[in-house]
Amino acid sequence: MTTQTVTLVGLRAVYGSGNRRVTALDGVTTSFAEGTFTAVMGPSGSGKSTLLHCAAGLDRPVEGSVTVDGISLDRLSEDDLTRLRRDRIGFVFQSFNLISSLTAAQNVELPLRLAGRRPPTRDVAAALAAVGLTDRAGHRPAELSGGEQQRVAVARALITRPAVLFADEPTGALDSATSHQVLRLLRGLVDDHGQTVVMVTHDPAAAAYADRILLLADGRLADELTGDLTASSVAARIAATTAEPAW
Amino acid sequence: MVSVRRSTGAFVAVAIGVALVAATMLLLASGRPQTPERLARAAVVVAGPEAGSPADPFPPDRPWSASRTAELVARLAALPGVAAAVPDRTFYAQPLVDGRPPQLHGQRQDAHEGHGWSSARLGGLTLAAGAPPRRPGEVVVDTALGLRPGAPVTLLTAAGGQPYTVTGLLDAPGVHVADEVATALAPGVRAIGLMLSPDADPERVAAAAREVLGGDGRVVTGDGRGVLEPRGDARTRWIGMQVLTATAALAGFVTVFVVAATFAYTVAQRRRELALLRAVGATPRQLRRLLYRHALLVGAGAALAGLLAGAALAPLLGRLLVDVGFEPSTFRVRYTLWPIAVALATGPVVALLAVWTAARRAARVRPLEALREAAVEQRPLGPLRATVGGLLVAAGVAFGFATALAGDPQQGADRALPMVMALVTGAAVLAPVFVGPVTALLTPTVRRRGGAISLLLRAGARTAARRSGATAAPVLLTVAFAVLVSGMIRTSTPVYATNRINAVNAEWVLLPDRAPGLSDQAVEAVSGAAVLPTTVFVDGDTAAEPVRPLTALGIDPATFSAANRMLTVVAGSLSDLHGEGTTVVKASLAGTTTLPDRPYPVVFADGERVPLRVVAVVSDDSFPGDLLLPRAAVRGHDPSALTDAVYLSSPIAPPAGARVVDVATWAAEVDRAEDRLVWLATLLLIGVTAGYGGIAVVNTLLMAAAGRARDLRLLRLAGATRRQVVRLVAVESALVVAVGAALGGVVALVGLLSIRAGLAEQVGAPVDLVVPWSVVGGVVGLCLLLALASSGLPAWRLLRRRSTVHVE
Ligand SMILES: Nc1ncnc2c1ncn2[C@@H]1O[C@H](COP(=O)(O)OP(=O)(O)OP(=O)(O)O)[C@@H](O)[C@H]1O
Ligand SMILES: [Mg+2]
Repeated sequence: MTTQTVTLVGLRAVYGSGNRRVTALDGVTTSFAEGTFTAVMGPSGSGKSTLLHCAAGLDRPVEGSVTVDGISLDRLSEDDLTRLRRDRIGFVFQSFNLISSLTAAQNVELPLRLAGRRPPTRDVAAALAAVGLTDRAGHRPAELSGGEQQRVAVARALITRPAVLFADEPTGALDSATSHQVLRLLRGLVDDHGQTVVMVTHDPAAAAYADRILLLADGRLADELTGDLTASSVAARIAATTAEPAW
Repeated sequence: MVSVRRSTGAFVAVAIGVALVAATMLLLASGRPQTPERLARAAVVVAGPEAGSPADPFPPDRPWSASRTAELVARLAALPGVAAAVPDRTFYAQPLVDGRPPQLHGQRQDAHEGHGWSSARLGGLTLAAGAPPRRPGEVVVDTALGLRPGAPVTLLTAAGGQPYTVTGLLDAPGVHVADEVATALAPGVRAIGLMLSPDADPERVAAAAREVLGGDGRVVTGDGRGVLEPRGDARTRWIGMQVLTATAALAGFVTVFVVAATFAYTVAQRRRELALLRAVGATPRQLRRLLYRHALLVGAGAALAGLLAGAALAPLLGRLLVDVGFEPSTFRVRYTLWPIAVALATGPVVALLAVWTAARRAARVRPLEALREAAVEQRPLGPLRATVGGLLVAAGVAFGFATALAGDPQQGADRALPMVMALVTGAAVLAPVFVGPVTALLTPTVRRRGGAISLLLRAGARTAARRSGATAAPVLLTVAFAVLVSGMIRTSTPVYATNRINAVNAEWVLLPDRAPGLSDQAVEAVSGAAVLPTTVFVDGDTAAEPVRPLTALGIDPATFSAANRMLTVVAGSLSDLHGEGTTVVKASLAGTTTLPDRPYPVVFADGERVPLRVVAVVSDDSFPGDLLLPRAAVRGHDPSALTDAVYLSSPIAPPAGARVVDVATWAAEVDRAEDRLVWLATLLLIGVTAGYGGIAVVNTLLMAAAGRARDLRLLRLAGATRRQVVRLVAVESALVVAVGAALGGVVALVGLLSIRAGLAEQVGAPVDLVVPWSVVGGVVGLCLLLALASSGLPAWRLLRRRSTVHVE
């Protein structure tokens, strides 16, 4: 039986209060197995980002529980949660991922430094090499292209060898060629290192890199796709799902 | 991230604060009493019992009488190790040059002091030319006067001008006369200098001298002889200390304020980065520690820089203080360890204090905030800040009412000061709340063609309340403080003069000219009410204050009561004040409103103890001073007492060393020296505040300019010309200065009105509110200039570069 790196049970997330109250997640139960690549898709506002934030311990659900790498996040204090995030969870945002005053290498080693560890130069170099940016180590974010910045962010997310890597529309701001570079990188991590990856995307072509696709709608799990995924099959399936009347 | 490069503002603010603290601390530590040069060779000095009271902190010591002096000199001279015991007699004596006191050493007290010749050896003084004075009528003068031995000179003493012959010259201020003349002019002795034989141990001699003295005075050696410094110097030093302490305290306070604002602003600006750090694994504690460490670094670095600047600044500042009269001419800057240590510690401590709230706020940043795009600001005011600001304003208003209801000027001033502090800081803390609405109110005044600018202005003011608040607060602080303090001084000064005019029933006043007082000769040449003050001593009530000095006025009852409108006799009769041994006392001193039947014993300047019979009790506001004596009694016991002023009913030709002015001039002049010092101190404090206000304005605007680079470039892309963008920025910052100035003005007005109400209540007449517009204009102008420069210039430079929108 495969190990489940992340387990989500009955997640409910609510924003605001009174008549501005929005239920972003309405009872989501699922899990992400070790060494798999999952894509989360769904219409805008369907709760994808919220799901990722809850799973990554960046936000707390009002109901339900999250377990990462065997540890329940539900009762952790803010400090413990931060430490857990630092050690076992990697996160890549859509944009604004890097500290502008630090070089690429310094950005990559930041989580280790925050953990109070002296980052081995070799590890940082290896992490940058893994994302193909060996010659960009000394550059600041302003001197890097969008794709390069995203790859630095991936390298940083991986430097602590996290149990799971979350990425929220990591290719949202990139052109298709650069997108595929980043996606191939993620795919390679899963295939070569058994990394667990969960990625939110709107792009069926991007989702096609995954082993499994979760479809969210109105804060609920609407569908799940596995098997041999291609951009066109994914697109067709999504069109079919979203065409159905509301649940 | 929060790199040192980005903290230039905080660094500069802390460095300047430390420089000011270092300089003032060094000056404070240097301001130690100096052994008068006249006594430098007397290794041990025996001084009369120290006197002191809150009302008169710098009175002369209580003197010994002639017989007691003779007894002490004989017994001290007989001590082993003592070569000679020489009484130091100091009295008023001033040589006239061309019939007028010379301008030379105009402000030095010792320029018009006379001494007995024998005491010249206490200072190791030797004649530069001629011979010592041996007979009455012979005098040795300061070489600087330009007289030659053998020349005639008129010596002005308390009796009047006397013909003398110069027998010798000394390179020292003052004059020296034969000992018998000195004994007559200064029968009471306050210090006896002991010349020791070469092998004597000063401490052992001092111990023996203490035995001889038996509590009737003090024995001092080494630097301890500083207590014998001229009273005027002690007073000047004290004033200097007040000014320096106030400056240091204000500098520290304002530094914390400015640096706190800078740090808070940095945190607000770097919110997304902080959130990102949280997201990649920084705990709240780490963020807090990060900021603390950063502040510590900035503080320590700035402390070093500030210390160097302060140490370099101290001698210049010291000279300035001597020049304007905040320190005596003997003042020298000495570099001691503790001020340096204090200054070094000030940097990090101030930085840590300042970063405290910013760090708390930084730690509350949530990781997800890294994802939100726009820098939409939070509430302009946190609950803590709102509470603190509210409390301060409430306290300020309470003190304002207390000031308006104060019974006397001193009480009013005591209450006005906390009012100023509370109102000003409270308003500055609450500034962000008002900035938005007031900007919206003021914006229509700058609306023009199409109104794109005013649209942007209003939108900006709404969304950037904190930023505008950060700029407006220092302007508010500076303007409110400057207007309030300068207005308070300018409003109250004429009131005191008016009070004085109202108290006097005369049109003209005879005043000394280039002399500390009027001689008897001058007084007798005119007819009017003369006041001859002297210090008498009574036994104090407490052990801490064993000898209490009192100011006694020697008067003639008839002329005095005719010239004095405030005199209210509570018991007895003023006309009984004649002959030796009578006195009139104030009710508070008598402790009763009826005539006490027991005599009131006082010690006079000649050291004689005389039981006085109280013939009348008068109300406390009857005259300045404590008791009245017949003029002849004062003259009999204090041959060197000088008359302050003679109140005349008509102008007359003034005798030598005197001049005649009208009452209004006199009233304005009495406190002029003091008013000048107060005004200088006020300007100094305003300068410190304004300097800091300027730094704060420049700081926040420079940081804001950096943070808005993207917006401004976008504006350019959207079709605005460079000129338009710069104008927008300039108008925006001018508006913020205007808002700060307006708020500051309102705060100041509230304070000034309550001060005026208090003053009017005290004098029983309406008081004009005086606002020194030059000071206000200067301060607002400075802020405006700095604001325009530090917002317009960066914008101009930024937009000159051809680059387009730069995505982070
Ligand atoms: N901070 C917030 N405050 C209030 N409501 C929020 C907040 N964040 C998200 N929401 C709401 O919660 C719901 C889910 O948001 P979420 O960001 O998870 O959607 P998403 O699927 O990621 O959308 P997108 O594809 O546009 O990124 C939406 O209706 C959104 O408006
Ligand atoms: Mg989203």
